[in-house]
Amino acid sequence: MRLIRLLEPALGAALTLFCFAGCDNSKIEVYRVEKEHDSQTSPILEAPGGSSGGGTVTWQAPANWEEQPSSPPRHGTFKIHGENGGEAELSIIAFPGDVGGLLANINRWRGQIQLPPLAESDLAQVVTPLSGSSRISFVDIVSADSIKDGKKSRILGGILPLDAETWFFKLSGPDEIVAARKDEFKKFLETVKTEATPVLASSAEKSGSNTNAPTPPVLATTAVQPDYKAPPGWIAQPLSPMRLASFKITGSNGSEADVSVVSLAGMAGGDLANINRWREQLKLPPLSEDDIASISSHVNISGHDFLVTDLVSAEPLPPLNHKMRIVAAASHQGEQTWFVKMTGDVDLVGAQKNHFLDFLRSLSIARATRSDESSAQ
Amino acid sequence: MMVRYLKACGHALSSLRLTVVLLGLGMALIFFGTLDQVHLGIHAAQAKYFRSLFVLWKPAGADWSIPIFPGGYLIGTLLFLNLVAAHGTRFKPAPKKIGIFTIHAGVVVLLLGELLTGLFAKESMMRMDIGTAQTYSEAPRETELAIIDTSSKDDDLVVAIPESLLARANVIQHPALPFTLKIVKFMANAALAMRSQAPDAPPSLATNGIGPNVVATEISRTVKQDERDLTTVFVQINTVQGPLGTWLVSNALGAPQSFSYDGQTYELRMRQKRYYKPFTIKLLDFRHDIYPGTDIPKNFSSRIRLIDSRQKEDRDVLIYMNSPLRYSGYTFYQAGFDNNDKTSILQVVKNPTFILPYIACGLVGAGLLTQFSMHLVGFLRRRRP
Repeated sequence: MRLIRLLEPALGAALTLFCFAGCDNSKIEVYRVEKEHDSQTSPILEAPGGSSGGGTVTWQAPANWEEQPSSPPRHGTFKIHGENGGEAELSIIAFPGDVGGLLANINRWRGQIQLPPLAESDLAQVVTPLSGSSRISFVDIVSADSIKDGKKSRILGGILPLDAETWFFKLSGPDEIVAARKDEFKKFLETVKTEATPVLASSAEKSGSNTNAPTPPVLATTAVQPDYKAPPGWIAQPLSPMRLASFKITGSNGSEADVSVVSLAGMAGGDLANINRWREQLKLPPLSEDDIASISSHVNISGHDFLVTDLVSAEPLPPLNHKMRIVAAASHQGEQTWFVKMTGDVDLVGAQKNHFLDFLRSLSIARATRSDESSAQ
Repeated sequence: MMVRYLKACGHALSSLRLTVVLLGLGMALIFFGTLDQVHLGIHAAQAKYFRSLFVLWKPAGADWSIPIFPGGYLIGTLLFLNLVAAHGTRFKPAPKKIGIFTIHAGVVVLLLGELLTGLFAKESMMRMDIGTAQTYSEAPRETELAIIDTSSKDDDLVVAIPESLLARANVIQHPALPFTLKIVKFMANAALAMRSQAPDAPPSLATNGIGPNVVATEISRTVKQDERDLTTVFVQINTVQGPLGTWLVSNALGAPQSFSYDGQTYELRMRQKRYYKPFTIKLLDFRHDIYPGTDIPKNFSSRIRLIDSRQKEDRDVLIYMNSPLRYSGYTFYQAGFDNNDKTSILQVVKNPTFILPYIACGLVGAGLLTQFSMHLVGFLRRRRP
């Protein structure tokens, strides 16, 4: 009898818990919540003056531009008067993230002056990189018809992608005033300077977050951006913690390629591990140390030894079901290893290989080597 | 008759052989479950092997599965019943066995504690930028389709449909919705690309919203800890007047898509499953300190403001590693950071039975101490001349 007295509640408890175990959380929930405001989803931007997410941004405006008061997200507003009356406005705005990317932003501006949206493949026609090592994409668009007071409108823009935000410099107004200031605006954009802060690379690349793992994350670089000359058609992209330079290339048929410059501490696993990692990305079998020489070559560029590899996938890969190709160069410099890598559609990457090598030659990495001072800041 | 039958069952359950078999099965389960983590990832392996009654096997291409091994819940429950039954038959209550009884009570509490934790504990993440406030946390791996009626000026009415229901239902209807949802295609994980990048892709199943411009390719679920699935669903909205259209919803899409019906405006948003709290947490500051002259992290901390109008709480709290905030049944741990140190990620744990493992350890410890002490005293007494 004692056995039954003990087993009854035990069986009851077990059966009840089995019922719970059999249930899953497939219940539809209905509830009311306060409306989500912007303040709940976007960071509070700091005071005007050019200091925000990706470091400090500074510029020098010509004396004849009339500065206006600004409040976040605006970091600067200027009125520019035309010689025959009328005025144009320059706004300097920073938003978190990439705000939809270059194409979306240019199409937003085109919509403001009643122009139809562009396709990705047409971007190169309206976007030109500025001279020097500036990462600003310069945009010039003019309306087809009269927009205001019987006059055409023009927008000159500069888009600067940073680590965690994108800066927009936009001069808009009547075509005659804005067009006359084009060179002045370009010179103004060349005065824009960024001072990036040291960042930690994330081990959680896809989720983009760092967690409190016992081992510290790998330190990427660095206080100084590398100098380079971007080939034509390479559109600068927002930087991630790992990337010191990032570009997108769009082919005439809409195919895409991605170029990245990354620097990691130490040997970053060594040549074999890196080449096999890239091969894995193309679903190719790994190689042994002896095979490296057959699929790569050493190239001396500006006094630096780069190991250059060219890999093509054996079959079309998702999500685009195109054959993919990777051209990558790695160089060990002191305590750092530099990677320059172009990934994308097999034909586009092949067509851009010479541009890639030109870019590699233009890359000045000596100034961007990590210093103890910068990493300790 | 019934009593005799129960007694027979009880005696079979109390068998020591059964204990040994169950412990052996448990070891095998742990061995195979651990090996399969390589293919499934830790969370799917936990659900398949340990938080299930049976380990199921699904033949390739079949839509049915068969049990091939007892799961953790079944082995744990049988061990629990085996122990209880043993006390009903073989173990006779006696003062000298108090230690053994206490140890067994601890084991029972431990078994129950793990079962209850598996059933009731919820882990989620709260991700905040500095200066922002949040009233909800998000499940890191579960998603939901939120249909949000935004017509009211004051608040939004949310109907949240869990991913598990989207995966198995063909048509979903709910009294709070004046239309039904037909699940045209469900993809537990997908790779998305703009159609301009994949001109040869087949036409989209979507007719409205951004869907027609997006190519979604189903891929296998990720097993990596630092990645998450991009749940993607083609959902058709049907009204009494006929279908409104088919939308592609995915947690890979940032902005919600909206449509109007019967004078109301609705948003469609596939997102991480949300757990709303009756209080607000605002991130005032996040610090990521390193040891001077090195890159070694020294401290991660979030200074937050806890606001609960019901309890008249309005105070600052500093959360840092190994010093979580415990409030209203939730524990907030500093779990991560992002966005160049401007975003803090808190892990939010609600486990109403978190105390049970502590009680179990205390009972087992006390039982062992009692049993050994009694043996020691007996031994010393026997040695006396």
